This record gives sequence, C-alpha cells and structure tokens, in this order.
Amino acid sequence: MRRLAILLSLIAAPLMAQVQGVELDEPVALPAFHLENDLGETLDKDALNGHWTLVMFGFLSCPDVCPFTLGNLEAAVSETSMRVRPDNVPQVVFVSVDPARDAGTVSDYARYFHPDFRGFTGTRDQIDTLIEATDSFYRLMKPDASGYYEVQHSSAVSVIAPDGTLRAKLQPPFDPGATAEFLARLQIAYRRSLNQ
Amino acid sequence: MKRLAVLALSLMMPLAASAGGLTVSDAFVPMAPPGVMAHAAYFKLTNDSPETRRLIGVRAEGYAMAHLHRSVEMGDVATMSAVDAIDIAPGQRIVFTPGGLHVMLMHPAAKQAEGDTVLLTLTFANGETLPVQVPVTRVRHGS
Repeated sequence: MRRLAILLSLIAAPLMAQVQGVELDEPVALPAFHLENDLGETLDKDALNGHWTLVMFGFLSCPDVCPFTLGNLEAAVSETSMRVRPDNVPQVVFVSVDPARDAGTVSDYARYFHPDFRGFTGTRDQIDTLIEATDSFYRLMKPDASGYYEVQHSSAVSVIAPDGTLRAKLQPPFDPGATAEFLARLQIAYRRSLNQ
Repeated sequence: MKRLAVLALSLMMPLAASAGGLTVSDAFVPMAPPGVMAHAAYFKLTNDSPETRRLIGVRAEGYAMAHLHRSVEMGDVATMSAVDAIDIAPGQRIVFTPGGLHVMLMHPAAKQAEGDTVLLTLTFANGETLPVQVPVTRVRHGS
C-alpha cells in the first residue's frame, strides 16, 4: 500500500504544479552582449534572431539542480518539438556564470544533455549584461578549504522570441507536457501580435 | 511523467543495503556530465527500528569528499547548504531526491560509466555505518 500511495502522490504532483511559465507584460529588448565557448563559437544578440531560444544560467560543478534542470529541459523541448513546427523548436543555450572553472568544457557539458544544446560563457561584464537584461541573478560563494566554491543562481529559464526580445520565464520543475503547452501558446500569441 | 519514469527506474533496482533496521533503497548516481567537479547521489533511507537514528555523514570511495546537502529554492534562486545531521524517526523514510536532499560527491578520481558502482558509507551518530553499492545510471527524464 505504501508504494501505491507514493505512486498516486507522484502522479498527482505534476497536476498540481501547472504553472510552468510566466509571460512578461511587455517584451524586453536585449542589449548587445558577446559570449563564447571552447569550440570557438560566439553567441551575441544577433545570433538570437530568427528562432526561439531558451537561456539557462548555471555552473558546471552544480551537483544537483543544474543537471536535473537540463535533463528536464531536454524532455520539455522534445515534447515541444511534437507540438510546434520544426523551425519553432527552441534552441537551448546554457550560460555558465563561472568562466574560471567552466570555459574549457562548457560546450561539452551542454551537449551531454542533448546534441543540439549549446553552452557558452564569457567575461564577467558580458555575463552580467545578459544576467541583468533577463532579470536574472547569480552569486559566487566563498571557497571552502579545498578551494571549491558554490554558485547561487536563478533557476528560471528565459524565453527569447525570434525578434530577439525576452518574452517569458519558464519555472522549475519544467514538467515536459505543461512546459511544451506553455511554449506552444506563447508562440501562438507571438505570431498573433506580429500580425496585428 | 518524469517522476513516474524515475519511479519505474527505481522499482527495477534491487534493495541496496540494510543494517540494524535501517534500509537504503532505490539508490542511484546520475552519470556525471563532462567537466564537472561535483555531482550527486540519491536514495531512500528507511528506519524500521524502534529508535530514532541520526545520519551524520557519508563517505564515498573514489571521491575526495562527500557531503550531505540540501538544495533549496529561495524565491527564484537555487541555493545549496550543507546538512549536519538528519534524524529519522521509527518508521520514517527520508528521500534523497533531485532538487532536495542529496549526497554531494566532490572531485571524482576517475570518470565513471553507466553500470559502474560507487561505494557510499553512511555514518550514524551511534557509531554505526551502512555501506551501500550505488549504481551509476543515465537518468531518463520526461514522459
């Protein structure tokens, strides 16, 4: 019976957590920024034009929340790809706010979760530009005796529309079905707003 | 549905270890992504003894350090804190799960592959230890 109770509570939990995203009242234009990665690729404002993008901030040595979030995001994007046109499937971008440790492997890290996921980092001021523009947050904590430090960071994911503006925030736990539904509706509203 | 997938995965795994009325079940270490210095282990710990037991620490073979840790969502910000001790009342089950309690595994000596195991040793306030062989798995998310 205990297993059954757990099973029932597990099935009920996602139904209770239906709020997977918040649409902004007004779209926010992003400022110029420049990020890069270990493959020599760059990500700037112009690279966001013409397709949907989901931006997640984090750090590679995040033991618990980041891998779980990226795994869930992969499932959510996969679910979204079954509901929207192929050219509307969002590109997922992981931005490390910890370039000192992560610059050498950030693209490998992102691709571990899906071959199409892209990882970037950059100089402190360029990271901060994107953090501020998306109303996000991070803080590097004090190193412990071994030199290891933790990083606090926003858990929400920023949704950037094909016109390069911030349109919404996705919130954990990124339930695949509910997140896909939210994104599909957001895209419909976006296309309507363009046609007005 | 991801919860269900995790559950289904965990049901397939055998009970990992038990001693003195304490049982660890459904233990897993998600494979570490490339480039990471720290990742995590998860399990359920059940106390079927008549006394409250206090988990005070953990060792992990093949890692420089391991800590009991808890992730907390503060507003919109993900934070973590070390956990000094966890009391487990008689009949109680403590669940270590992504986004909550976890064993933080720091500085792996070598990269693991799916199917490897990590030896965790849980230590309790009364001096007991509970060794657990935890399988390294590739966690499937989503529906």
